[in-house]
Parts: sequence; structure tokens; C-alpha cells
Amino acid sequence: MSAKVVICCGSGGVGKTSLSAALALRLAHGGARVAVLTIDPARRLADSLGVGAIGNEPVAVPMPGPGSLDALMLDARHTFDALVRRFAADAAAAERVLANRYYQFASTRLGGSHEYMAMERLLELAQSGRYDVVVLDTPPTRHALDFLRAPERMSGLMDQGVLRWLVMPAGAGGWRALEVGSDVVSRVLKTLLGEGTVSEIAEFFEAFRGLGEGMRQRSLSVQALLRAPGTRFLLVSSPSAASRAEALHFLSVLRAEGMPFGGFLINRVAVPPRELVVGDLVAACAAEVQPEVTAAIGLRLRGLCAQHGRLAAAHQRAIQTLRSAGPAGAPCWEVPEQDEELLELTGLSGLSPHLPDADALWGAGSSAR
Amino acid sequence: MIPRTAPRVVLVTGKGGVGKTTVAVALALRYAERGLSTVLVETAGAELVPGIFGVEGQGYTPTLVAPGLWTLRLTPEEAIEDYVVQQVRFRRLYSMVFKNRVMGPFIDAVPGLHDAVQLGKIFDLYRESLGGRPRWDRIVVDAPATGHGLTMLGSARALMDLTRAGPLHDGVKQVQDVIGDPQRTGVLLVTLPESLPVNETIELGARLGESRALLRGVVLNSAVSAPVTAGELRLVEAGLSTLPGGEEVARLAARRLRQVAAQEGAAARLQAALSVPTVTLPDLRWGDAPIDRLGAAELSNLGGLLPLAELGL
Repeated sequence: MSAKVVICCGSGGVGKTSLSAALALRLAHGGARVAVLTIDPARRLADSLGVGAIGNEPVAVPMPGPGSLDALMLDARHTFDALVRRFAADAAAAERVLANRYYQFASTRLGGSHEYMAMERLLELAQSGRYDVVVLDTPPTRHALDFLRAPERMSGLMDQGVLRWLVMPAGAGGWRALEVGSDVVSRVLKTLLGEGTVSEIAEFFEAFRGLGEGMRQRSLSVQALLRAPGTRFLLVSSPSAASRAEALHFLSVLRAEGMPFGGFLINRVAVPPRELVVGDLVAACAAEVQPEVTAAIGLRLRGLCAQHGRLAAAHQRAIQTLRSAGPAGAPCWEVPEQDEELLELTGLSGLSPHLPDADALWGAGSSAR
Repeated sequence: MIPRTAPRVVLVTGKGGVGKTTVAVALALRYAERGLSTVLVETAGAELVPGIFGVEGQGYTPTLVAPGLWTLRLTPEEAIEDYVVQQVRFRRLYSMVFKNRVMGPFIDAVPGLHDAVQLGKIFDLYRESLGGRPRWDRIVVDAPATGHGLTMLGSARALMDLTRAGPLHDGVKQVQDVIGDPQRTGVLLVTLPESLPVNETIELGARLGESRALLRGVVLNSAVSAPVTAGELRLVEAGLSTLPGGEEVARLAARRLRQVAAQEGAAARLQAALSVPTVTLPDLRWGDAPIDRLGAAELSNLGGLLPLAELGL
């Protein structure tokens, strides 16, 4: 049986990595066996979880039972290579692909290969039987489309039609797939890419041919997992205009793709301080400080409170805008702005009271185990 | 060595949420106000520039948004179409081949092509001339968030390595000659004056590789100031703690003081690690303008704070 999945999406700089880890920790404290997978190359997860380094293999985060937490960081190249070995007909075929120059580019430098491999790794973890919940920290939403559609795109690429077209010489039925004259297509491609490049790409596809069906099946499984009843997409945002706009953009993508939206997670929400009465401060300090000195300091502190109050009000307006754009009644969790020092003391578990637990994500009684 | 000639192309990049667009717009406004014919190219994420200037939207061709300032929105799809049509000369051929169900995924899979064609468009703007002189004195690019900003910067080189020879190779080489040349292209990194973002910026600096020479400076955006000194806070702390909500006020003030100290440390560390000028810009959220409503006037003031001569921009 597949694990439940939580996918945290949002623009960069909203604290997505920390919140993903904190959420994973919260679910683990609730008794679940949890894995958190980050693809953020910023490598911040290890710091915030207090483990030395996180790599492609699970690292156990030390915590008291009953649950457990493993952390992983995606190694796209490693995952891609493993996938090739798995689906190649034999070792020699695998080596042919791995040695292809185009493959080496595609697996490391191709935009979208990270996203594709994140999906692949997510599927592996979810199906491993080792976890009740897998939490995925995603790249910034500029790649939102790439990331959700990567498996589909890749399976489109592996489609036999494309392969046949690319590896078959013109006239043998390959070019016909394009429904335009073969001379036109070859002229355009050669004009654009040069003859050498076209034939190298064809070699790549030829080498990949045997893998096509296995990888296509895999992509279909990922697509199914993303839409499974136990999957939740959380939109992580800060109350700023830019990240809010990205969250809304992402929401429209989720809707269009039919993927299950689990709610908003708003990070770093300002909390309004109480108004400071300067006269009260002067009175409170009268024993030790000159009234005029206290009054001068008090005025400036009052200004600070007023600034924070304005910011908090603006944040609430921003959150309302965001919520009203989302589905009616969608859950929304607000994580207040944290005092950095405080956070160092309590660690990520200090965020727990503000984050959803298994019941909040999957409904009461739906224990994550 | 930083060349002293100001580059005509300036890429503004940094992690998401640090205020790249804010800095890019501020810089572009500053250029325009100096009488330089400036085009601002928005590539990243959600479209923010039209909101700032109160215009309807922007297209693939430059729109005038302020005196001397044009903006355009650059998407990979339009850039690819533009490039292909330039190469094959016939739009109909483009539609036949590239809008094709079979061809789409193939084009998507050419490594770095999306990024490289966007650079290609920037190169076209660089080359564009009007009445015998360059049409644009400055091209300011609001580049994608760092990981990706770097990918974009390196994409022409990557595609050159991949293609080795042929028309695409020659095309991207021309682009690389401009984008990789510190005399003609500069990079401005934007980050926040906090420990983690600064660490990441230092790491990024180390990964810049051959693009390192393009780096003109680092902007520490959203810096705060402290309303009281540590000594003043200590004076009133005991009294403050007896008032309802007073401890919260003391915490806010203490946090500001820590932020200010961290800012100073961050600037020093950046300068030591990257040996380029660092510039601190204030957090506009604390001004009187409500957040999310920054307009051209606020950003023009912000642009006035950029020490162009020091940055060599």
C-alpha cells in the first residue's frame, strides 16, 4: 500500500523547506513513520533538522518515539541513472544510454530533469512500504508546471511515435508522423540545429528506445500518485504580494490538473503588538529613569509598535485576498513570524502548534499509520 | 578586476522573495531618469511590473511605462518562436513544425534551449539599433531566481558545448560573446541581510565559475533600522516588563537590534567572501506606503540609493 503524500509548493523565500521539515516532524511526533524529501539545492534542511548532512539515502533524524523521521535530499543524476539501469533490457543497453553525451546533458542540465526525478523519487519512497507519510519540499513555483507535468512530458517524449520518427530515416514512414513533407522538416531541423546535432539526438533516442515502455508506465504511476486520495498539496506562501501571486498561479495549475488541494500554509505572519502608552512606561520606570529620557525612548518604541501593527493589518488583508481566491472553506494555517533566537532554542518543533496534524490533513480518525 | 565601463546589459538575480523585481525596477528607473534609453525585461515568476506602473499588461515587444523606460515580458515559448522564425524566415513553417503534437516534446527536451533563446532575445535587444546608434542604452533583466538565474546565464555555453558546430552553435556563440563579456554584461545579486540568505549568496558566488567576472555587486535588500539603542532598551526594560504586552514590545525591539547587528555582519562577510561592493537598501514595508502597493515613485526613490559609480553600473 502506498504512503500518504504531502507536497509543499510555493515561491522561493517563503520558508518552504523549513515548514516541510517542521510538518514532517509534527506528523512523526503524532506517531507516523515519515520521510521528508527536499530538492532545494540550498541544502538548508540538514541545518534545521540538526543532522550532519542529508543525501540521496535516508538519514534518520534523532527523535523520541513512537514515530520516526527520515530526511533525504534529491540527487537527480543518481536517481536518473538508477532508473535507466532498472528499465534497460540488459547491462550493455544501460551503459549505452549512460555513456551518451545527450543523456548526460539531459539528466543533469536539462531544465525539468530535477522535477522529473523528484517525482520518481517520491514514487519510490511512497511505494517502499517503509513510510506512512512522505513530505515533499518542491522547487520554487516558477517550475510549478515543469514539476507537475515533467513525468507526462517525459512519457510524451518516450512515446513510440516520436521515437520512430526520430530514429527512422526520412521516407521510411518516420517523417510522415509530422504530417508535413519530409524535406520541409529536415530542412527546418538542419537549419536550426545542424546535421550533426540532429543525428546525435537521434542516437540518444535510439539508445533510449528499450526503456520507453518501462518509463512510460512509471510516469503513469506518478500521475496516479499525485491524484491519489491520500495526497495533499499545500500551498506555502508569505503574506507578500509576489509569493501570493505565485500561490494563486499555482492554485490554478492544481485545479487544471485535478490535483488535491489541502490548504494554505502562510508563513511569517506578523502579530500585532499591544499599543504602548508612553505615560504608563514613564510611570513604570520613574524609580530608575528620568521621565523625559523614558518618554523619548517610549515614543520611539510606540512608533515601532505602530509599524508592526500596520504590517500585521496588511498581512491579514493579504491573507483574506488569498483565501477568497481559493476554494470556499479551504483550510488555512498561519505561522506567526518567529523570533530567530527562540527558534534556535526550540528547533523546528516550536512551529508544531501552528501546523496541521494528520487529522487536519486527512480528516479525523484517519490515523496516518 | 572590475572593468570600469558600465555594461549595457545588467542581470538582476537572487533567490525568490528577496526583492529582485523591486531592485530591477529601481535600477531601470534610475537609468531612465538619467536620460538613458532603458528596457526592463521581466522573466521571473508572476508578472509584477505592470502592477507597479499601473499599466494593463506587457507583451513580448517593449511597452513605454515611464519616461525613457520600456518593459517587456519574456517567455521561453515566444522567444523560441521568435528565434525559429528569424532562422527559417517563414512563420507558417514554424507553426507547421513546432506547433506539431510530435515536435513539441522534442523541442522541450533540447537542453538549455528555453534559457538560451531567452538570452538570445536579450542579445537581440543589445544589437537593436535606431538611427545608427544602439536603440537601448541599458537592458535590465529581472532574471529568474538564482539556481535558475545561473542556469540561464550558463545556458548559451551549455548549448555551445552540446552542439559543437552548426548554425545553432554559431548563434549561441554570438550570444555568449555578449553575455559572457564583463565589459558588456554585469550581474547584480540580490539577497536579504540575514545569516542564511547571506550564506547562500556566498555559496552561490563560489559556484559562479566563469560568470564570476560578471558580478558587479551584491544588494542587501530590506534592511531595517533600530528605533532604540541596546543601552536605551536596557534602561526601560524592567519598567516595560511590568506593563501589559510590554514584554512583547521589548522582544520586538530586541529583535530589531539583533537584525541590525546581523546586517552589519552580513555586509562585512559578503564583502570579504566575494570582494565586490555591497549595497544596503531599506525595507520599504516599514515606510508609510502600505505593503504590496509599491509604486514607481517609491521605487524611483529606492533607485536613487544605488551607488552606480561604485558598482560600475
